[in-house]
Amino acid sequence: MQCGTALILGLKTILQVCSVALLELDNLNIAVASKDKLLPVVHDCSLSLAEHETLGIVGESGCGKSLTALAIMGLLEGSQVKITSGSIVFDGQNLLEMKPSRRRLIMGDRMAMIFQEPMTSLNPVYRIGDQIIEVIRQHRRISNQGAKQRALELLELVKIPQPEDRINSFPHQLSGGQRQRVMIAIAMACDPALLIADEPTTALDVTVQKEVLDLMLDLQQRTGTSIILISHDLGVIAETCNEVAVMYRGRIIEKARTRQLFSHMAHPYTRGLLASIPSVVTDTDWLEAIPGRVPTIDEQLSGCAFHPRCAHTKTSCSQTEPPLIEVQEHHAVRCHFAGEI
Amino acid sequence: MTVRATIYSIFRGRKLATFGALWLCVIAIAAIGAQFIAPFDPLEIDPIARLTEPGLPYLFGTDHFGRDTFSRAVYGARMALIIGFGSVIVALVCGGLIGLLSAYFSTLGHFLMRIIDVLMAFPALLLALVLMTLLERSVLNTVIVIGIVYATTTARIFFGMTLKLKNEVFIDAARCSGASHSSILFKHILPNLWSPLLVQASFIFAFAQLQAAALDFLGLGLPPEVASWGNMLAEEKIYITRAPWLLMFPGALIILSVFSMNLVGDAMRDSIDPRFKNDIAGV
Repeated sequence: MQCGTALILGLKTILQVCSVALLELDNLNIAVASKDKLLPVVHDCSLSLAEHETLGIVGESGCGKSLTALAIMGLLEGSQVKITSGSIVFDGQNLLEMKPSRRRLIMGDRMAMIFQEPMTSLNPVYRIGDQIIEVIRQHRRISNQGAKQRALELLELVKIPQPEDRINSFPHQLSGGQRQRVMIAIAMACDPALLIADEPTTALDVTVQKEVLDLMLDLQQRTGTSIILISHDLGVIAETCNEVAVMYRGRIIEKARTRQLFSHMAHPYTRGLLASIPSVVTDTDWLEAIPGRVPTIDEQLSGCAFHPRCAHTKTSCSQTEPPLIEVQEHHAVRCHFAGEI
Repeated sequence: MTVRATIYSIFRGRKLATFGALWLCVIAIAAIGAQFIAPFDPLEIDPIARLTEPGLPYLFGTDHFGRDTFSRAVYGARMALIIGFGSVIVALVCGGLIGLLSAYFSTLGHFLMRIIDVLMAFPALLLALVLMTLLERSVLNTVIVIGIVYATTTARIFFGMTLKLKNEVFIDAARCSGASHSSILFKHILPNLWSPLLVQASFIFAFAQLQAAALDFLGLGLPPEVASWGNMLAEEKIYITRAPWLLMFPGALIILSVFSMNLVGDAMRDSIDPRFKNDIAGV
């Protein structure tokens, strides 16, 4: 009996070790088509996300984090933004080589997305119940009654009070926090393996932010969904993610397990980000800031993307672009002096 | 919002629009029950009763064939509704589809919207005249031609609104839940266009009346034997001095109906578009 349990445990560990990543981005390059040229906006982005994990992507506005998410969801199709090279492998299939019709079968079913603005991400002319039912029926062979039952369960799951009444509400009758909950319900409707949350709490009040984040984590516990959480709030990331990628000007500049990152920050930009969060405990008159601004995409820069704003710049920084080097296991940094600073 | 509440919000405090709506109801009743309301056959010729003055039994008098003008006017109401609804359907379906598809698929849009631009360069009546000369005079052709003329403006309106809507976040949300192009177009974008669509429909309805009357008057609209207000004007215009009632009644009917439809359309637009709220006193 004991032997059997041990065997099962052993098998489980083997499976966990061998488990292939759910999502792999490999050297993804994204560019914006401007008049006659392509302006690169995401450079060689490589990420991987295992099942049941939460990956945080942090960075200032315009650093390419949302574009990466949109690329994964296939929402760049038909826009000015093009994926120029690289691959996105989800569940062992390269999404970029897939036919749009096949990809649509995965979207909303195996992968789902929550957006930043809960005020505009629900269709104003439909009752919320119908919007949930629509997604369920798009991907499951289920009767209208069955789908409605499932919609009620989902509304209950995302803690909407009185789901029987609320299922017939129009989006404008709900508050921002409730709408974001409905968005989460829609995203979770088919138990996706991957949930991308693009700044899901940015537009909400602080108190509601906490509730929505807790809800997402709670759902992850129940369903085992992997989450990519995009945020510019390091606090949110620290609380929720197992793994963090910091992006700056379209590049991943630091990537590590959350604990590792917060205990041994290696990139000056990551440190700058953390330093600019005002402390609640100590009383300061001065807010820390990273000098300068994020260069616009059409500005040409040689060498390290961060060197004009970096306090530790040396001559080599402006000449060659540093590669992403592993300084420790699971901890990669894109800086020439990662170990030294 | 229920239908009752919607109607209330459109007509509350708008006396003229309410009058317009009531007049349209009268027209609708006349059109639907024409064979019960009209005392005579609109085509029945009675040479003895030529050009009778209004009175009994000929309420609106008779024309130069001795046909009862009142009965013809009642049947004309039916024709007015057929022309109105027909053109609205043709214009909204053609124009709506062109606008939606052009905005959603931008390559197709470059092509289709340029055709619309060319059509819009013609004055409405001229375009209708050109098309009518190519076709036979019939009710269906008149409806199609007027529909095409107004499909151009409809396409423009739909094009602009779809362009705006397709960049909304909820459309992205629908896309990433795996919705197909047709489902996004017809289930997510189109329902957001219902209210401007309704307003546009009411204006097309009104302008179609004028257009049809003009075509009839110029002898290029409905076939001459059809009892329509425009045809009545066209046929009896030479009797303006001898029997002015023959022109007064159909003319007044055209004016009143178009005016009423415009009033109702205005009221609908005002109640839907908050920018026009409390504007244009009383209308």
